[in-house]
Amino acid sequence: MDAISDRVFTESTTIEASNDDPSLLTVILDISPAGWFRIRDQISIHELAKSLLVFMNAHLSLNNSNQVAFIASSPEGSKFLYPNPNKNYDEVRRHQSISGSHIGDGREDEQAPEFAPTLVNRGMYRQFRVVDEAVLEELNECFKQIAKNIQNEDQKSTLSGALSMALAYTNRMLTLDQSISTTTASAINSTTSVNANAGNSNSNSNSAAGAASNSITSMRSRILIVSANDEDDVKYIPIMNSIFAAQKMKTSIDIAKLGFKDSSYLQQASDATNGIYLHIDDPRGIIQVLTSAFFVEPSIRPFIILPTNSNVNYRASCFITGKSVDVGYVCSVCLCIMSIIPETGKCPACSSIFDDKIIAQLSKGPVVLKKRKLDTNGTTS
Amino acid sequence: MGATDEEYLSPNRDTNTPSSKAASAEPDSKVDKDEGGVSKRTRSTAPPRGPVSDLKGQNGYAWEDEYQRSWDIVKDDEHGGRSLENIIKTMIENRKKKIMKNPSTPFQRGIIRSLIVIIDGSSAMSEKDLRPTRFSMTLSYLQEFVVEFFDQNPISQLGIILMRNGVSNLVSEVNGSPQYHLDKIRQLKARQHNRYEPKGDPSLQNSLEMARSLLKYNFGNNANDTKNSKEVLIIFGALFTSDPGDIHKTIDNLVKDEIKVKIIGLSAQVAICQELVNRTNHQQKNLGSKNYGVIMNESHFKELWMDCVIPLPITTTESQETKASKGVPLIKMGFPTKIQPVLTSSLSSNDYIIEFPQLSASDPTQGLEDAKQAIEITNNNNGGGGLHSNNVIGYQCPQCKSKVVNLPTLCPVCGLMLILSTHLARSYHHLVPLVPFKEVPVSSKYDSKYCFGCLLKFPRGVKNDGKNRNALETMTSSRYRCYKCSHDFCIDCDVFIHEVLHNCPGCENN
Repeated sequence: MDAISDRVFTESTTIEASNDDPSLLTVILDISPAGWFRIRDQISIHELAKSLLVFMNAHLSLNNSNQVAFIASSPEGSKFLYPNPNKNYDEVRRHQSISGSHIGDGREDEQAPEFAPTLVNRGMYRQFRVVDEAVLEELNECFKQIAKNIQNEDQKSTLSGALSMALAYTNRMLTLDQSISTTTASAINSTTSVNANAGNSNSNSNSAAGAASNSITSMRSRILIVSANDEDDVKYIPIMNSIFAAQKMKTSIDIAKLGFKDSSYLQQASDATNGIYLHIDDPRGIIQVLTSAFFVEPSIRPFIILPTNSNVNYRASCFITGKSVDVGYVCSVCLCIMSIIPETGKCPACSSIFDDKIIAQLSKGPVVLKKRKLDTNGTTS
Repeated sequence: MGATDEEYLSPNRDTNTPSSKAASAEPDSKVDKDEGGVSKRTRSTAPPRGPVSDLKGQNGYAWEDEYQRSWDIVKDDEHGGRSLENIIKTMIENRKKKIMKNPSTPFQRGIIRSLIVIIDGSSAMSEKDLRPTRFSMTLSYLQEFVVEFFDQNPISQLGIILMRNGVSNLVSEVNGSPQYHLDKIRQLKARQHNRYEPKGDPSLQNSLEMARSLLKYNFGNNANDTKNSKEVLIIFGALFTSDPGDIHKTIDNLVKDEIKVKIIGLSAQVAICQELVNRTNHQQKNLGSKNYGVIMNESHFKELWMDCVIPLPITTTESQETKASKGVPLIKMGFPTKIQPVLTSSLSSNDYIIEFPQLSASDPTQGLEDAKQAIEITNNNNGGGGLHSNNVIGYQCPQCKSKVVNLPTLCPVCGLMLILSTHLARSYHHLVPLVPFKEVPVSSKYDSKYCFGCLLKFPRGVKNDGKNRNALETMTSSRYRCYKCSHDFCIDCDVFIHEVLHNCPGCENN
């Protein structure tokens, strides 16, 4: 009896302790136009951005020292929308208060953001407002860029780059070295303090710095990728490298896949990192999905059954035929996978010549040995 | 060891001392791979050895080090506060640079490795020059090594041997599962003060023969023989070996079996070890080799350990051999499908689900544990739905349909190598290493203000006037540039990108 009550007691304390950890949420939004064009009847990217902002605000409100980052990945390249060290959000706000008559009424403005000087309500809670404003403003910049170069045929996904950036940023947030934070403090704080000419913003930066130093203790992190890209043109090796890095850092990669097809790479990414993969067929109610399925904090992930699909196809695909392979051959130099032995006897990737003897051995069919004959004859024939 | 005493005393670090440190300064002619020791690892061409040097280990051996007073490092100059800041930052960055390994140009490497780690358990290992003892430190590094080894070499296998009291004991069988080895090491660790206390003499011959037989047993008689890189790593604390027979014959046999031996010495160089290493790695006699390292201090010990994680490049002589006689081997592998491990059948009512245990072909004992409970009946009434608590994932060999739980493995029934594509992907970065970033020279103005990876703010440039020349000498630009995409990164990201991520965020976005 004692043992039972003991255990219950200790368990409850450990859970409590782990729940206090702040966490970093990095959202990667794939804004490659082709995918969004295809699902234009279901959802527009503006609506999605709205939902994502609500989702990020909710994350910020969970814990005082929670952090968010937002990366847009487009064929033009990936970009940090928030935090953005080049822009000072406090300044933007002052500018707003001067032109105070032009206060937009909240979220309505987002649908026609190009014409509105203020994208979000000025009265919004500061942390929310800073994030929302930065993301929306930068997102519009990205759209303009994309619209300029839309004729460019060579459109490649830069998801691997966005993931790499997200992981580098996560790495910094997880292992932020306190000893150098005095000189090279986190970029957000330093920009606010550098540009501090009003006492108001100075105090703000102080509070932000305080929050950051709290968060050093033990940060947890996760990455959410929202993609409508149906093309499987991601670069395999960089994506896999990022997945392994995330695995090592214990950062879960969650995937919200819109569009019509499942992406096997993204499935692998979430499966390997204990993340959530959901293919959202009907994205109109995406805010519900975001705030339920994707709202699972990393600290409570071990305790609940994640709403994910564990049937992930890890099957390798053949380098020559492109089909999936059951039993294949692997080049020992470059590890390229082949379903058939190439006729030339050369590796298609690194063009090293294979051993004839081994090829002969592998391509040899089953041979029925005659009874009582010598083994040596049988094997050499 | 006697012949080399003189060299140990010589203060010049660039003579051909037998330690790995000196050898790495002059790369081997055969394999010019810049896997450097401490001296090579500082990345700037002219390391600032003057006013700012690292606190520990800069001068090689710990006992050769001058006694450094930490307050001497700080030098005043014109700007009081800022320079101190800079000095501290430079110190941190120098230390990180040292940790940072220079990635090399692509090499053909033996990706599928089987490695036997031989650790010394003789009485020399109870010395306390490594704290708490040599033995326990070796064990704790061994644990880290095992984790790192399997992370980087997922389709490789490892075995551990302990040489103690004149004989060799098998600690763990050759196996591809890190957890198995970690469990065995933990057991050994728990008993290191009673049952497996360091004792007696080491016997290199006994343990090498055992390693040889393990390597032969696992890969000797089938076609796998040519594809594996067979390696032995010895952690040698003693200065002698007491063998029952002629160790030179053992070395001959190792050479014949193409087993490569690496040694990490804990006290000093031993002549027989040098010979063993040189002969098995096909190197000339009396040549310092990076395969035989003698530790200088604890961090160097760890460095030497971690150097063994990277798969060995195939030497030019070897590749010439393969080119002359035959091509590179092609390996047949199976990519198994995931299967539901539990067959469920519902009883007449849907309230109960019976789970029939299934045996894994590779590890039948795991199934047996389940089999003790014969048939597990899960009560399905209380809202559990159809969710199974059992989260063991099984895989089915595509050739013979036998079931295994762990990958990668050799199919226990048909001998096919079973892997997932991710296992192969883990090794790719060894084959296509990322080019090292170069430090941006100190100047008064820089193009970049923020690190491209993590948005860290870089320090601003310092004007190069006569006044603060002293400060300039100790300054770094803190920017590391990838010359492919010409984006700048901070030192943290540089280390992270090269050690963990293995792809450049800048290049990926172009």
